[in-house]
Formats: sequence, structure tokens, C-alpha cells
Amino acid sequence: MSRWLQMLGVVIRLELAQRVRSVAWYVLLVVVALVVGGVIVVLFLSLQDFQRDLGGAIFAMTIFLVMLVTSLVTPALSGSAINGDRDAGTLASTQVTQVTATQLVLGKVIGSWIASLGFLAVCAPFMIGSAMLGGLRVEAVLVAIPIVVLEIGVVSAVGVGLSGLIRKPVLSTVVTYLVVAFFSVGTLIGFGVGMLAFQQEETRDEITWDYDDQDGSSTCRETGSTYETTVPRPDRVWLMLAANPYVIMADAIPPRLDAHGYPDDIFGQIGLGVRMAQEPPRAESCADYDDQGAWQDPLEGIYDRTAPSWFVGLGIHVLLAGAAVWGAIGAVRAPARTLAAGSRIA
Amino acid sequence: MTAQPEPAPDPQQARGAGADGAPQPIPASPPRFVDPLETAGPVPALDDGGIVALHVHRSFGSVHAVREMTFHAKPGRVTALIGPNGAGKTTLLLMLASLLAPDAGSIRIDGADPTRDPRAVRRAMGWMPDVLGTWRSLTPLQILTTVGRLHGLSRPAARERAEELIVDARLEELAKRPSRVLSRGQQQRLGLVRALVHRPRVLLLDEPAAGLDPTSRVELRGMLRRFAAEGGTVLISSHDLSELDEMADDAVFVDRGEVVGGERLVLAQQAAREWRIRSLDPRALSYQLANIGVAFDRVRLEGEVAYVALDRDEHAAEVLRRLVGGGVPIIHFAPAVGDIERTYLGLAGGAR
Repeated sequence: MSRWLQMLGVVIRLELAQRVRSVAWYVLLVVVALVVGGVIVVLFLSLQDFQRDLGGAIFAMTIFLVMLVTSLVTPALSGSAINGDRDAGTLASTQVTQVTATQLVLGKVIGSWIASLGFLAVCAPFMIGSAMLGGLRVEAVLVAIPIVVLEIGVVSAVGVGLSGLIRKPVLSTVVTYLVVAFFSVGTLIGFGVGMLAFQQEETRDEITWDYDDQDGSSTCRETGSTYETTVPRPDRVWLMLAANPYVIMADAIPPRLDAHGYPDDIFGQIGLGVRMAQEPPRAESCADYDDQGAWQDPLEGIYDRTAPSWFVGLGIHVLLAGAAVWGAIGAVRAPARTLAAGSRIA
Repeated sequence: MTAQPEPAPDPQQARGAGADGAPQPIPASPPRFVDPLETAGPVPALDDGGIVALHVHRSFGSVHAVREMTFHAKPGRVTALIGPNGAGKTTLLLMLASLLAPDAGSIRIDGADPTRDPRAVRRAMGWMPDVLGTWRSLTPLQILTTVGRLHGLSRPAARERAEELIVDARLEELAKRPSRVLSRGQQQRLGLVRALVHRPRVLLLDEPAAGLDPTSRVELRGMLRRFAAEGGTVLISSHDLSELDEMADDAVFVDRGEVVGGERLVLAQQAAREWRIRSLDPRALSYQLANIGVAFDRVRLEGEVAYVALDRDEHAAEVLRRLVGGGVPIIHFAPAVGDIERTYLGLAGGAR
């Protein structure tokens, strides 16, 4: 086992030596630091005059910005890891050594993961800085950073996997970007479209209120008649929403509830939204009101009732990454029986 | 200087010259009868050692890159792999290097089967591909150390081996510079020692001499001869036929995905070969060539050098004897092409 890991280590070091030593990597690092830092400083300066406490909003913006930037940079580092080596003729010379296909692909995934984490590293000071401005939510930073690390790993794995499965480096990089775009934007569109597609007609009981003039109370009762209505069914497509990396992040950060029991920041609100989407549409009924006619919040206990959507979403991502890596290992295994059209193996 | 208006050769004598270029009255030997059954050569056994390929076939879609290849590259010998572009040499080498699985047939590299046990093959085999990829941002020293580590050497052992090979490749001055600054020939030398990092017993070389300067070629030749003398097996593919003639003990000719063997090979080896003749007195040479009865269409004069196409080595000896007997001061009498080149050109049907 330790020999196996040692060999993996050699592959990782080889990957890093190639990637980290490239000028492009350093240039990108500086660009990322300038963009993230610049946006945050401008945001902070221009929002300072606002009356409301905007620390939380700036913190949320920072986290999302870091996610956006890293997800945009990572495919560039991983999307041509295998087919680029094929083109350069260096893949075959590693294949004829004692390295297994699994070590080779995993080494490339981990290598480009580490190289991409450099971008998180230059963003980390801004994340911590804006967390302090946002009221020192240390636990939010402690959750956010591992999630970004994991997400970068997922994009690296998808990029390396696709670079093993697709012949042309340019194409595999573009497809990796498309995968990132699908999860970042496509899932939102898919959720919206899916909600409309799955909406259904429902017959609901009508309720009405009887007002008691004597004690000023009102009681709820069913009229006995029904009405037709169209209800959307987000619960049938909520997995789409759950697979969105920004939703994962929002749901993973523990919600801070205000006096009324509602989350007070943007993460918590998004998280609450995706939890609500899991529940089938509620028909308003008299059961929502207690004996005094006071409204019982149906959202109470929703965090306990519903699945942790960040976990589900990360699960989807990790499964996808695993499938991509598995496919690439098959494609790198030699001696090869089948070859993609037009490919050369040395 | 073309054909001189010499004293015309006696037409009677010229006509009397044998069609094979041999001067009369040397009795022209009848065409050799080639029995295809006898010349087919023994079919190698899989456990013969070295490189054994038996009925290997590989196609890509409808393209049959390798149709039927059977040969044996023996330990202790340098075997040349020769064939025109597209003959299937590279496909064959990829299969031998355990990168590509054959559709049918079996391969043994030092006794190991690349399909069943590729790791044993990779332990035994060093491979130098035709398109040599190097990690451009790494130094030669790092490249060789990394390859050693990938072959399972410990860090100090890999480092030590790398330093040793850097000296062998004469890259000491460039050992610590990125490999992208290396010239083509230096890259070839690096690629060659890279194939040797794990001390293989079988070497597969695809165009190893391309881009090498003369010194490096001589060194390469010496290196391969030493490798074979120590019991190693070398299979070398190249288009430089005169180079191969000097280096190789055996030759495997491939054409259109098949190993050329038996009758076709014998016939090709019998094709006329040109002999290069130089004399201190070119006029006497061209005069005597006609005079001793060499058919004029077998003689080609280029400057002061005469080329004579002869079918048999015995005829060459006879021609030389007669020229010397005729008082021509010969200073050079040698085959213009080597054995491998002659066979190759004979196969290609382009023998001049």
C-alpha cells in the first residue's frame, strides 16, 4: 500500500512540477487575486454609507465570488491533463513504466486539484477579512472553505476525466466548462422549467372564517365546497436545485436565525428556499391554525423534516466526479483494445 | 563526364556479354530455384526469449495496420525492422511496447505476455518512441529521476542512476536546464538513456539515430553492440539503411502489414546490386569496363566513379580480377549499397 501511495506521490509531483512551474499559473494567480480583492474593496467602500449592516452581504458575496472564480479557473488547469499529454507524447512514456492507470489518473486529479487550490489560497485572506466585517462568523468560514476545496476537487476530477475520454484538448476543456455552467446556471433554469412542466391541477377544500362578535375571536371551518387550482411541484425537481454548487454552499453554512426564527443572511434564505422546495405543495387548511385561531408556521421544524440538500448535492457531484475518473482510468489502461477514432497513443 | 567516345568496344564482344552483366566466358549460373517450403524459416516458439511475435494481427476499423507478423528477435543480437512508411512498423512497436493490444496472435517480450502481464513486460523492456515527448519544463536530471521513480526505484537509487545516464548521454552541461532548451539530437540522446533507466533486457527503438550528429551515431552503435553483447535483445526500426547495415545482425522486412519472408525475400536478395568502382585513371576504367565484356546498360558513369550493376557477388569478383588484369589502377571497389538496402530496394522493386 505504501509503495502504491509512493508511486501516486511521484505522479502528483510530476503533475505539479509541470503545472505549477508554468508562467500561466502565476499570471492567473495574480489576476484572480486582483479581481477578487478589487471587487471586495469596491463593494465595501461603496456600501459603507448604507445604514443597514451589510457585513453579512459582503461576506456572502465574497464566498460566491471565490466559488465563481475558482470554478472558472480550474477547468483550464485540468481539462487537458490526459489528452494534452497524449498530444505531447509524454503519456505513453509514463504508461510503459510500473505506474498503473489508476495511479496515473488519480495523480493527475490530485495534482491539478492542488494547483487549483492555489487560487483558493490567494482568495482566503479576502474571505477571512470579509467574514470579520460580517460579524465574525468563524463557523461559516470553517464550513465554506472545505466546501470550496471539495468543489474544486470535483471540477478537477471532471476535467481530468473528460480529458481522458475526449480526444481533443480544446474540446475536453470546453466540455468541462459546459459541465460547470450546467451546474451553476443550468440547474437553476432546469429547476424553473421543471417546476412548470410538473405543475398539476388540484382540487382543494375551501375554508372560511367565522367571526364571533361576542369575544372577537374567529374560528376556521371548511365550507364543504371545493375549488380547482394549479400548483407547481418543486418537490419533483428539487434535486436540480440541490446540485447547484451555490445552493450547496448556502445550505451547508449553518443558518443563523433571527428573533422570528428566520435566517438573517442570504445563505440561510437560499438554504430555506431549497428546503421548502423539497416539500409537496401544502393545501391551506384549518389544521394550520390553533384553537385560538393563531397561525402555526408550517415552516417550523423544516430543517428537521427535510433532507440536508447540501449533502445530496455534494453526493451528486462526487458521484459524477467518480464516474469521470473511472472512465478516464479505463481509457488510459494499456494495452488498449479500442481506440477513439483518429487518436494516436504514442 | 559521361560515356567517353572510347575506342568502341567490339560489338561482337558486347553482344556476347551475359544478360546478368557477367563478362563472358564466365558461365552464367542458372536462376536459383527457390523452394518456398524450405525458405519459409522456422516458426519461432513463444519461449524462445528475446522478442517473439506469432501471427500478430491488429486493425483499426477497416484499416488492417498489421495483418500477419511472425518473427523472432534473438537475445544477443541487434535486429533491424525495415519497411516503407505505413507498413505497420509503428503499430507493431506499440504492441510490443504493451501499449496496444493485438486483435489476434501472441507476443512475448523476454518471456512475458504484454496482454496478460504488461508490468513484467515493462520491467524487461525499454522503449524509445519515434515522437519523443519530454516534460518540457523539467530538467534532464529530473526527467531521468522521475522515470526511475516511476519504474519503482527508490529516490536515492533513481537519482544515482539518473546522474550516471546524464554522463552517458553527454548532457552534463544541460542537466539542470529545462529540457525545452535541448536540441533535437540532444533530445534523442536523452530519450535513449531514458529507455535505459531501469536496465531493461529488451530495447525497442524507433528511429533512434534521427537528428544525431556523427559522434553520437558512432556512440549509439557502440552502445547497442555492447547491449547485445551482454545478452540483450535490440529491435531497431529505421529508414537509414546503411546505418542499419552497420549495426544490425538480423533484419525483419515488413510490407503492407506483413513480414516479408521466404521466396520473396530470397528473390529480393538476388536483385542486381550496384558496385562502385573508382580508378586513378577513369578513362582506362571506362574503356576496360567495355573491353572486358560488361554490357553497356549495366554501367553508369557519374563523374569519375563508375557504377556497375551485377547480379552475383561472384561476378563482382570476376569483374575486379579482369579490371586489375587489364591494368586499370583500381583504388575503390565496393558495393554501392549494403545488404539491407539492397534487399529493401529489391523488395520495393525499385532496384536501380
